[in-house]
Amino acid sequence: MKLIKKQIPLAIVFVFGVLTLISYYIPHKKSVDFMEMMNKWENIVAAFAFFLGLISLFYSHYSKIARKVDGWGYSLFVYIGFLAMVVPAIYCHGKQMDAAGKTALGWSFSFIYNPLSATMFAILAFYIVSTAYRSFRIKSLQAFVLFVAAFILILGKVPLGQIIWTSVLGWTGAGVDQVIDWIMSYPAVAGKRGIMIGIAIGAVVTSFKIIFGIERQYMGKD
Amino acid sequence: MSETWMIAGAWIAAGLTIFLFSFLYKDNPFFKIAEHLYLGAGMGWWFQVYVYNILGPKVWTPLVVNHDWMVLIPAVLGISLVTQFIPKISWISRYGFTFLMGYGSGLAIPASLSTDFINQIGGTIKPLSMMASMTPFAIFNSLLIAFGVVCVLFYFFFSVEHKGHVKTVSNIGIYFLMIYFGAAFGNTVMARFSLLYGRFDDLYTFSDKHYFYASQLIMLAMVVYFLVHNFMGKDKKEVTEDEAAG
Repeated sequence: MKLIKKQIPLAIVFVFGVLTLISYYIPHKKSVDFMEMMNKWENIVAAFAFFLGLISLFYSHYSKIARKVDGWGYSLFVYIGFLAMVVPAIYCHGKQMDAAGKTALGWSFSFIYNPLSATMFAILAFYIVSTAYRSFRIKSLQAFVLFVAAFILILGKVPLGQIIWTSVLGWTGAGVDQVIDWIMSYPAVAGKRGIMIGIAIGAVVTSFKIIFGIERQYMGKD
Repeated sequence: MSETWMIAGAWIAAGLTIFLFSFLYKDNPFFKIAEHLYLGAGMGWWFQVYVYNILGPKVWTPLVVNHDWMVLIPAVLGISLVTQFIPKISWISRYGFTFLMGYGSGLAIPASLSTDFINQIGGTIKPLSMMASMTPFAIFNSLLIAFGVVCVLFYFFFSVEHKGHVKTVSNIGIYFLMIYFGAAFGNTVMARFSLLYGRFDDLYTFSDKHYFYASQLIMLAMVVYFLVHNFMGKDKKEVTEDEAAG
């Protein structure tokens, strides 16, 4: 049983990990075909992983409705929202547009999903402002540097900020756009590169640990 | 799409937008309805994407039309994931997960090495080899990047104790990190605000006579709801206080 439950899954990780890694560096048609096939397989398995999440969500809201817990009525709207996208998709075979223009799925996307999604993220603008107030209370020189970089970026992207910059710092000859461009292209790049190099080393080490079966928390408990 | 559907869509979009914005005043049932609808609609959207873009063309058609039995392997690995819900046989789901982890790890190594490691080091060093043809300002910028990257790497290097010169260099690295975080924060704020302008623009469009003043009427209804709810809440509170005193 240990073989089926533990050793074969670990062998799968090793075999697919090593084959994918090697194929990447072999410029041969067979390795290219293999990578294409693996990519297709990954898409299929990931689609089922999505269904796993979907079933879990539905089960969680179903049990809320069945037990009639506080606010169970809201759970019904999860199913309504789901059907509002899936029923038109089935009707239009997953097409948002046809010769006549927007299909029912296109309508659902434009008038239900898109407003909900955009507004949900737009609300964050208000919370970011309140967070900014807390984080921009300048307590150290480092916090001041963070504040200046963020302030110039925000200021430079609104017309009012550009007018203020021109009237106060116009004599320097540098426009706010140029300053933003310089910050994003040089000092910010230095910070970003340091982080990216660190992440890359971490990702490589973790990947090797997974391939060789040292890291196996994703397998769960026996 | 008929005119009636467009007007109905405008009312729904304006209503859902205002319901979500109402959370800025306080938590309320309309926000919760919109929040749950968003969750369901999001799952519905991705469900149809997976069905029509992956399961249809990559599993159903190859299997039923082309009789490509190889597709059964990822399909079975995928189905194995669902055994997570049956505790007795949940170990079967390991087969699907291990495939994803193996493939993901195998791909992450070369991808991280080339884009996040070698390319970044190359991008830092390459300009230094072309200094002869560069302006003094470009040379300064190239040196600034190289200096900044080294300082930031020192900050993340924990194999030596951070004291003396190492501490000075790693402290300079923090300033470069702060500039990056500030710039990233500023960009995020502006991206969120551009979404906000988009929502306001839609509300303005739907406030037109053509849409039967959808935005204004829904907003008015929300204001009435909050007023009534506040007054009723106050009455209830007073009754409870009286009962407690009595």
